[in-house]
This record gives sequence, structure tokens and C-alpha cells, in this order.
Amino acid sequence: MTVLAVAGLVKSFGGVQAVNGVSFSVAAGEMLALIGPNGAGKSTCFNMLNGQIKPDSGRIALNGRNIAGLSPNRVWRLGVGRTFQIAATFASMTVRENVQVALLAHRRHIWRFWRPAAAWFVPEADALLTQVGMRDQAERAASVLAYGDLKRLELAIALANAPRLLLMDEPTAGMAPAERTALMQLTRSLASRQGLAVLFTEHDMDVVFGVATRIVVLNRGELIAEGDGPTIRADPRVRAVYLGSGVTSGGHRC
Amino acid sequence: MLNVADVHSYYGRAHILQGVSFALPAGAVMVLLGRNGAGKSTTMKTLIGIVRPAQGRIEFAGADIAGWDTHRIARAGLGYVPEERRIFTDLTVMENLEVGRQPARDNRPPWTPDRLFALFPNLGRMRNRTGGRMSGGEQQMLAIARTLMGNPRLLLLDEPSEGLAPVIVEEMANAILALKQEGVTVFLAEQNPHFAARVADRATVIEQGRIVWTGTMAALQADEAARSAYLAV
Amino acid sequence: MGFILVQFLTGLASASSLFLVAAGLTVIFGVTRVVNFAHGSLYMLGAYLGWTILSALPRDPAWFALGVVLTGAGVAAIGMTIETTLLRRIYKAPELLQLLATFGVVLIVQDVVLKVWGPDDLTLPRPRWMRAFVTIADQRVPVYDLLTIAIGPLMLLGLWLLFTRTRWGTLVRAATQDREMVAALGVDQRRLFTAVFALGAGLAGIGGALALPDGSANGQMDLTVITDAFVVVVVGGLGSLPGAFLASLTIALLQAFGIVLFPKITLVLVFIVMAVVLVLRPNGLLGRPLAAARGDANTPALVRAAVPALRWLGAAVLLLAALAPLFAGPFALSVLTEMAIAMLFAASLHAMMGPGGMVSFGHAAWFGLGAYGAAFAVKGLALSMPAALIIAPAGAALAALLFGGFVVRLSGVYLAMLTLAFAQIVWAIMFQAVSVTGGDNGILGVWPAAWATDPRTYYWLTLAICTAGVLLLRRILYAPFGYALRAARDSETRAAAIGLNAAWLRLAALVMAGAAAGLAGGLTAFAKGSVFPGYVSIGRSVDALLMVLLGGVQSMAGPVAGALVYTGLFDILLMVTDLWRLVLGLSIVALVLIFPQGIAGTVHRLWLRGREA
Repeated sequence: MTVLAVAGLVKSFGGVQAVNGVSFSVAAGEMLALIGPNGAGKSTCFNMLNGQIKPDSGRIALNGRNIAGLSPNRVWRLGVGRTFQIAATFASMTVRENVQVALLAHRRHIWRFWRPAAAWFVPEADALLTQVGMRDQAERAASVLAYGDLKRLELAIALANAPRLLLMDEPTAGMAPAERTALMQLTRSLASRQGLAVLFTEHDMDVVFGVATRIVVLNRGELIAEGDGPTIRADPRVRAVYLGSGVTSGGHRC
Repeated sequence: MLNVADVHSYYGRAHILQGVSFALPAGAVMVLLGRNGAGKSTTMKTLIGIVRPAQGRIEFAGADIAGWDTHRIARAGLGYVPEERRIFTDLTVMENLEVGRQPARDNRPPWTPDRLFALFPNLGRMRNRTGGRMSGGEQQMLAIARTLMGNPRLLLLDEPSEGLAPVIVEEMANAILALKQEGVTVFLAEQNPHFAARVADRATVIEQGRIVWTGTMAALQADEAARSAYLAV
Repeated sequence: MGFILVQFLTGLASASSLFLVAAGLTVIFGVTRVVNFAHGSLYMLGAYLGWTILSALPRDPAWFALGVVLTGAGVAAIGMTIETTLLRRIYKAPELLQLLATFGVVLIVQDVVLKVWGPDDLTLPRPRWMRAFVTIADQRVPVYDLLTIAIGPLMLLGLWLLFTRTRWGTLVRAATQDREMVAALGVDQRRLFTAVFALGAGLAGIGGALALPDGSANGQMDLTVITDAFVVVVVGGLGSLPGAFLASLTIALLQAFGIVLFPKITLVLVFIVMAVVLVLRPNGLLGRPLAAARGDANTPALVRAAVPALRWLGAAVLLLAALAPLFAGPFALSVLTEMAIAMLFAASLHAMMGPGGMVSFGHAAWFGLGAYGAAFAVKGLALSMPAALIIAPAGAALAALLFGGFVVRLSGVYLAMLTLAFAQIVWAIMFQAVSVTGGDNGILGVWPAAWATDPRTYYWLTLAICTAGVLLLRRILYAPFGYALRAARDSETRAAAIGLNAAWLRLAALVMAGAAAGLAGGLTAFAKGSVFPGYVSIGRSVDALLMVLLGGVQSMAGPVAGALVYTGLFDILLMVTDLWRLVLGLSIVALVLIFPQGIAGTVHRLWLRGREA
């Protein structure tokens, strides 16, 4: 079942075409990797899907409904979760409170002024933390977490609205190789279990070729290739503009 | 070149480096491997003096630089290229290089913009572009070039391949190998095992603030247990 | 025609002197990120020092120029001392603490100037060359004005060349972005900062000396100038020299013509200009969004409810306060009433500043609106005191709602300055709408209801209302709304990504803070029996800011502790010494150096030491 269908997405900044007629789709349970050189338009694409940037033209359909141009909070309400390149969490709160705030926002309980926030949705928050393996750190301050743990907390927050689509911008940036695989394996198992569609950008080819079901490649705002790992690896254009010879990214073995 | 003995560092109240010791011979390219939060970045920041060590000796070019001010350490010949590059985005390429300029040392020919543009040809084509209008890969090259303008004896690189497209990472590796040919000693923290294996001839591994393995890259790759623990994918 | 020319030239001349001060302020802010409230004090020192030097020198133009340069050098040296002894130690402290420290310097300099140069305005005798005129279009234009007009653009050109064409300037611009990186490239950034501060101080000093022939050195010029300079810097865009120049021109010219066309409006003209510019351009004319300063100091700490021991302490203090009228005299009782009100006033500012992340330089607006609202209610509408005490917060909240829409779109210093603009506009209305507000004379005879005329009864009433108000604010901040507000402060991107609308949350916080401050104002009106424009003054806003910063923004206990310490300290100082500004200023500086987290934050840290990381 197609969760996200993007068609003819266009965006330019001051005359420079950042994204030029990009189309692709993501199905439930699928992990789609969006790769390409630095400055190819990946972030712009992402920010349009998430609602932070309005596309000039094109259609972004979430479960058949066009969400192009909606604000980030509307997009979130329609079931799109997001993690950021630099993990964005709430530093003045504990790990559990971070998830509680997301749950409160999801259930539209923000405009309440009396009952302490700490008393709301504790079992639900703990269940989400258990999913990402952070239950035992629930009481700690988010600001003192190790970076890998912070990324997992961010994942729990992004899952609080039971999203249909999860957007992950360079999810493993700043992590050690072993942690990278662990985080993405976790995401993959969540995706297949919950029928979640995942779209992620990534520069670590071990992660991309290790977990992605399908890969799309952007270059200068245009989609130049689409397919599974072996197809992408074998594509001469992708090699030329992005993959290189493979000596520093694990080779081109399949 | 560099001799680190029993260095302890704190970040806030967290005891990050808990007795780090290692030595780095002149002319080597050594990689610092380790998990996230193991202390790689803190090691780099302690060497350059951004984090002050609470205890321990850091012998560099014949002096104990532990506790010195950052600018003094840099002038002693330690060049530092930080994580996230930290280019001056309002300044042009030429101005970024100017900020890094320090006098020549050891009777070696000083790095000049022209020599650096030969090493990183991309930069030469955008001399007057501001740092903010460069791609991640171009910024990383500028960050290294800017530090080289200080004619460092030892170059510290904190995660130089982070967030870069594979084809750029490859260029970066070639540039580091070229620097090695020039006789620059390099110490880099790295998460990408392929990149590390390509450029480094020595490796040291940090775990929970302590060095747990040191040796040549060949030895690391030959040691099955160590390789799967520290270089595994 | 001739008249327009003269006004135009007058405007240009004052634009130049405005630019001299603003240039220094914007350069210092750009590099050190310190919002230097003491910049006006450096200008004042320039005027006084300039008076001393110029009075001693021969009257020729050449000697005058030398005297001005010497004054600049002298003030630069003073600035250097301030930088090396105070600011250098707190660059890594939270930005607000730096602000607090410079407030301390303002107070210290005021008393020092008073001691050294005395209370009288000092004027410089004008030699013949200074009184000379040239005739342009049949109008006599003072030569000195033309001289001043030339200095502005020349200074802009000089600074521009310095910052773009020299290695030093390149280093300074690099340090503006990332000082740590500059140090890692072998540049001694501490010397760089000291030099920049000295440069900015020197410019202020020259500005002060050049203003002497047309005016005087007096004890009020520091605050007047700092407000104008801040407006210029903010309108131009923080850190932008061309922006500061453009803003100086705009504001000075508008003032030159405004004073003739709309004499009544001149008091607030600059603030109206600033409000309009900020509403249209949230980062000023030529400014760009500020990147967050690097460093851990501004990472928010974990917020937790007070530990039991602190709660017991609070309960004990409250009990003592409730019993106080049984043994306190009338003076002590009035101080206690003031303290109770200060507590609510500070807590209201804290609510928007701490969890809301919106620093306000104009919190007195809501306080004053509450006070005047209560006064109108009883005097104009002949309502009862309880009704007036409902109107006070309701009126302030309504104003906050109307005005808040503009405020919550901004951030940082820009937001703070827009609140100041609003407060100044309110102040001007209270000051000038004499028929309604009584102008400077205020509204008198605002007495409590018959049942509350006994000061003890009124004190108990105030204590009960203020305590309940503070506890209610606390309750709200720990409720889902408070968490959502804090979430929007901690990470705006993450907050938006989980469906929170930061603008609405902040607006609600502003309204809440406005209501609480309005209530404090209403209670003050009845406690004093009168209201004055002083209730809306900058000084009142600064009081609130000092209370919150002294206490610390990180916890709810902070503003309460800050209010009690500040009010207590202030009243004791007033009683024991006439050098109260000096002592208060020194205490503030000492507190900042010893307690960089504020009183409550430091106590909290000590409490946590060795417990949990």
C-alpha cells in the first residue's frame, strides 16, 4: 500500500532550481533511502515533505491526501513523524517528559493548565521508550544523554503520534558504525511490524545498502536513478556523481 | 612528535578522559577509533586546549602543553580541524585562509593559498565565495586548508568524512595521503572504517575514556578480535 | 525652504553623534555577544572626562581635537579595565547574566561620576571658532554642526576599511562568528576582545566629548543615550555597522522634523519607529537572524520541582510573613507589602522569560497598565476595590493580547527591545494625556476599600493574593501548557515537528504574565494610594529584570528569592548610605561573579553536588 506519493515536486530559491520535478513513492513497511551529493536537493525535498518549505509546484500525497504546502504541525497531525540531522529534543526535560510532551500534543491536551504534565500518559510514554530501548533511562535529563541514546529518544518522540510515515534526515550522523546499524535495524523492525513507511537520507553506504529496501538518487535537484541496492551500485551515473570508486565506502561489492 | 601520558578531562561534571596515554611518531597518519561518547572528540579538544585536562602530561614538540591556552598550543604547531568544520560562513575563502595564517616554521616552505589550491583544486575556483555558500565537501576542504595556513607540525582532524558524499570522502582521503607525502603528521578521529583503513598507517582505540588498543593499521587488520570489535560494520 | 534645510542639517549632526555611540555598541555586541548596558555610561564618562580635559587645554581647534582624541583614549582605557576585570570572566556565562553585570557597572559609574564631578551639569565655554556660522540658503548654520555632520560618514568609512581591509578586521569578523575556532587557529582571542571593547568604548568616549559644546555633561545622559543607542542598533540590525548608520540617519532626521511637526510625539517617536521596523523586519533593517551562540552555558538545565527542604523553607518564610504584622511597625509593614508585590511581579516576568524564553525589557508596561486600570476603576468608574483588582489584571492581559501578536514573532534582543518600545509608548501616553491620567502628577487618592484601610489588613490581603498568584503560575508551568511552552523554547524545530504552535503558546504566556504583572500593579496602586507614570518607567522594568536575574531563571524559586533579596537589599541600602547605587552595583557585579547561575540556581547546584549527574 502506498503511503507517500510525490509527483513533480519543484522548488527554486532565488532563481536556483533546488528541486526540479522529483517523483517517487514509499509503501507501508518500506525503507526508502534518498541519496545524492552534498547540495543535491535532499534537504529541500525533506523540508517540503515535512511542511517547513512550501513547494513551488507538485503534489505530495499522504494516503491519497495532498499535503503539499501545509504547516509542519498540520503535517504532523496527519501522521508524519520526523527526526533531524542533529537530534532535536527538549533539553530541560527528562527522557520520559520528552515523550510525554509529544503524546500530550498528539492527544491535543496541550491547553491544560492544572493537572501536572508529569502525571499524563506515563504507561504510554514508557511503552514507547521500551520500544527504542530507553526505558531504563526514563528519569535522566535529556541533556546528559550519549548521542546514540539521544537519537533513540528522538525516534521515540517521532513515533508518539503513531505516524504512517517517518522522515529521517541523516539518522546515523555522528554515530559509531555499530550504533548506526543497531539504530537502523531497530527502525526497520518497527517499520515492518507497524506497517510504517520510512524515508531517510544517509551518507553511510553500509547503512544505505544494508537496510534500504529501495534507493532513489538525486543530483542537482533531479532524480537520476531509482532501484534496489545492486541496481544503484551498478549505475555508472551514480558512481560518477556520488559513489566514486568505493575505496572509502566499502567497495562496490553486492 | 606527540606523547600523551595519563590525561584526565572533564566535560562539565562528566569524567570523559580517564587516563589517556599514547604516542604518535612524526610522519605517521594515526586514526583514533571508538564508539560515540568514548572520548574521541574530547581527546582532540584536550590536545588543542579547548578542554583543559585536569591531570596528565601532553608533550608536543619538546614542551608540556597541558593547560596552555588554545592559541598558544596552535602557535606551537598543532593544527585542529573540528567536527562540523566550523567555517567562517560570512568570510570568503581567501579571508578564511587569512585567519589561519601563521608564520612558517622549521625552515619548511610555508603553505600559501596557491599551494593549497593545488591540493584542493575546487577551492581555487571559488576564492571570493563566502563560506556559507559552499557545499559540505567544499567546506571540509576549506577547513583543512585554513588550518594548514598555520603551517602545523601535527594536524588533528575530527571526523573529516562525517556527512560527506562517498565521492567527496574519497577526495578527502587522497588529500590526506598527499599531506603525508609532504611530511605532515596527521591524527584523525574517524567513524568510517573504510576511510580509516585507506589513510591511516597506525591506529589507537579509545573506550570509556581509556586507550584499549594501539598499533599499526596492519596489525589491527590482522588481529581478528580487534578488527571485528573496532572496525566492524 | 531654509527652515527645512536647517532642520535637515541639525538632524544630520545628531545622526553623527548617535552613530558614534551606536557603532561602538554594535561592534561590541557583534564580537562579544555582550549586550552592553554600560555603553551609555562610557558615553557619560566621555562627556565628564572630556570636560575636565578640554577645560584644561587652550581653546584652539587643534587643541580641541587633541582633547577629544585624548578623551577617547581615556575612555578606551576605562573600557579595557571593565573588560579585563569583569566581562572576560563571564563570557562563558549565560547571556542574561552578562546583561546583569553591565547593569551593575551602570550603577557604579553613576555614583562614581557623582562623587568625582558633583551633581551639577557641566558646560564648556564656547570659543569663537565654535560659535562661527556659515550662511547657506540665507540660513545661519553653525560650523560645529557641519563638522559633526562630516564625522559620521568618515567614521563609518574608517571602520568599514578597518573591518574589511585589515588582517585585524578579518580576525574580528571571524571571532564574531566563532571565537573558539579563531583561538584554535592560533589567534589570542582574549586580546582581540579587549581591543574591540576598547575600540567601542573609545568611540563612545569621543561621542560624549563631541556632544559637550552643544550640551552639557550631566548625570542622566547615560540612560538617555543607552536607550537611543539601543534603538539605533536594533533598528539597524544587531552587529551591522551600515545598518547602525542608516538607522541613526532615519531616527535623527525623523526626530528633527518630528519635534517641529508633532511636538507631543517626540518623547516616543524613536520607539514608534523601532516598533514599526521590528514588526516589518524582525531582524532590523540590515540585520540577519543571529545564529545561536556556541557553548554549553545557554543549554537549559533540567527543570525539577523544588526539593522538600526548599518547600519547608518556603512554608516557614510564608508563616513568618503572615505573622509579621503582629510585631512589625508601619514602615516595616509597607516594606513587606512591597516585597509581596515584588514577588508576584518578578514571578510574572519569570514566566515569560524562563519557560517562555522571551526576555522583556518593558515588563513595567503591564504593571503600569494594571495600576492605572485600578485607579481608573475606582476614581473614574467609581467601582469597588475588588472590582478594580479584577480590572487591573484583565486590562493588562487584554493589552498583552493585542500587542503580543507582534512580539511573539521576534526573538532575543529584538523581542526584548519591542517590549521596551511598547512600555515607552504606554509611558508617554500616561505622561502626556494629562486630562485623563493627570500627567506627571498622576492620579491621587486611590485608597483601599473601607474594610482594608488598616495597613495590616491590606498587607494580609496582598500577601494572600500574591502568594496565590505565584502558586497559580507555578501550577500552570508544571501543567501540560507549561511543558509545551518550555518545549517550544528548548527546540523550536522539534516543537513544530510534534505539532506545537510556538506563537500561540508564547502569546498565551505573555497574556498570563501581563495579567499577573497587572495584578501586582493594581495592588501597588492601593498600597501607595496613587499612580504615577514612574510605574511604567524603564527603571521599573529594570527592577523586575534584576530580580529575576538575581534569583536565576532556571527555577520557580528564583524570582521569589530574587524579589525578596533585591527589595530588601534596596530598602536597607537606601536607609544606610547615600552611595546606594555604588553598593548595589558592586553587589550585583559580585553576585554575578560568585553566583553565575543566579541565587536559586547556585543553591540548587550545591544541593545536587555529589548526588546525581
